[in-house]
Amino acid sequence: MRLAYRTGLGAITVLALFLVLFPFYWAFLNSIKRPEETFQPTWIPFLQFQPTLEHWRSQLATPEIRHALLNSVIISIGAATLALALGTLAAYGLARFRFNRPSNGALTTWFLSQRVLPPVMFVTPFFLLMRQFGLLDSVLALVLLNATFTLPFAVIILSQTFRELPRELEEAALVDGASHLQSFLSVVLPLALPGLAATWVICMAFSWNEFLFALSLTSKSAIPMPVIIAGAEHTRGVQFWFVGVNVLLTMLVPIVLALLAQRYIIRGLTLGAVKG
Amino acid sequence: MDSASDNSRSLGYETGPKAAPSKTRTDYTKFVFIGPAVIWIVAFTIFPLFYALYTSLYTYRFGQRFGFVGVGNFTRLVTDENLLSSLRVTLSFVAGTVTVEMVLGVALALLLSREIRGTNVMRGIATLPLFATPVAVGYLAITLYYEQDGPINSLIQAFGGKGIPWLSDPFWALVAVILVDIWQWTPFVFLITLAGLQGLPSELYDAARVDGAGAFQNFRYLTLPLLAPLLWLILLLRLVEAFRVFDIPVSLTLGGPGRATEVYSLYTYRTALRFFDHGYAAAQGILLLVIVMLIVSLIFSRIRGLYEEER
Repeated sequence: MRLAYRTGLGAITVLALFLVLFPFYWAFLNSIKRPEETFQPTWIPFLQFQPTLEHWRSQLATPEIRHALLNSVIISIGAATLALALGTLAAYGLARFRFNRPSNGALTTWFLSQRVLPPVMFVTPFFLLMRQFGLLDSVLALVLLNATFTLPFAVIILSQTFRELPRELEEAALVDGASHLQSFLSVVLPLALPGLAATWVICMAFSWNEFLFALSLTSKSAIPMPVIIAGAEHTRGVQFWFVGVNVLLTMLVPIVLALLAQRYIIRGLTLGAVKG
Repeated sequence: MDSASDNSRSLGYETGPKAAPSKTRTDYTKFVFIGPAVIWIVAFTIFPLFYALYTSLYTYRFGQRFGFVGVGNFTRLVTDENLLSSLRVTLSFVAGTVTVEMVLGVALALLLSREIRGTNVMRGIATLPLFATPVAVGYLAITLYYEQDGPINSLIQAFGGKGIPWLSDPFWALVAVILVDIWQWTPFVFLITLAGLQGLPSELYDAARVDGAGAFQNFRYLTLPLLAPLLWLILLLRLVEAFRVFDIPVSLTLGGPGRATEVYSLYTYRTALRFFDHGYAAAQGILLLVIVMLIVSLIFSRIRGLYEEER
């Protein structure tokens, strides 16, 4: 009975692992197979087929893709940095000061409630406003918007991080005559560095993956990777080998970032309800 | 979640002998900290929200504002066949994805929560789909669902089945979109439930064992009630996300065939930026907001407890 239970558990685990990992492997396989080998049931490079880096080379040499990758990098770093700066200040304020009317709890809930708003309702106002300010098809517009949408994550992750730091050091700095701002900059920030780095990285991953506003507000020069991908199949038909390369090029960055910040992901995803 | 234990979080010196002079200074400092983020959200969320409300009251086409129509754009909602169709598609999508994701994710977490050894590896692997760019996932799925000799149909045929017209049949196209969402988001339910389970106090289970409780009784009378607020939170987050779905249907099916997978957000996007009917699109956005707020208000009271302990 015990053995049967363990075997069943093992089988379920293996099946789940297979289902999660297969699509990634399939993309990888297609990206290194020659077009004529796409539909052959060969699974192991070198043993069953001769892999090629041709598709990677040709995609990475495409000007549109290089430009889109660069845009994605600028947007993610810009948005994450902005969200981190705003979020760090707000989080420290919420963690260390007492607010009345609205209370700390109400303020936190207010920040978190931004996560609930359906993004598509902002397509019209943002499109009209960005047009008004001449920011359509600009990287800046996407930096601003992604900073806005990742700010709640930054606030919640960091206010918990600050709350977990010992107060004594800050109090000592204050007793020594430092101002709140000084103790924040020279005592708190260095201590919170791991949390700050993780938050930055998570905000980057979310900004990188953002699609709706990237599609709505860009037309040429500010197009990031997700929008490149969405347009490809309709202009050239499904070319498995290029799908493989593009999909991996796009996915790898946020996945690696998320794995780096593993420890903080759960509290970010649950809006701080679970420490993880 | 408010003022009950607030004293513990303000710095100790405020209540000390020098409280009076430093307090006035503190009052300014705290607004320096929280001010920028508040102003930012007012500028980039609250203001656009009111701008959308304002736009929805006008006929606003091709970037030009025409006459005031009052609730005209909202009465159009009720009679718009395409909008109702997109609402139906979205409801099927939400029902299909959220149900399966919750059941599957929680079941997997319960099964694997005792395997302490592999926890970090499991978490790492569950992170992969979660952070894979959704558009890229949808695009990749086109090749997986490929009807002629794609891997999924090949597998079905190897077991003697008939290949499924994944992306050309209205019913199967919706199933295809739902399955991709399940692939991407079940790990979310799994990951959080697992973290919740591993945070449960083990003393309770020790006590239950002493009292001779079985595995099912443990689950029914300990695990489930303890985990309930967290499960409600997961359900809330999944519902909110599922109602706004956009990326996967756009990249996988572009809403087709016909309108079979044209979800609400896609229809609103098209109204705004394909037909440039901004006023009407704004009204659609507000309706979606109302729907989501309704769901939140139904569930919110059940998850309050999660945030109370630390405030």
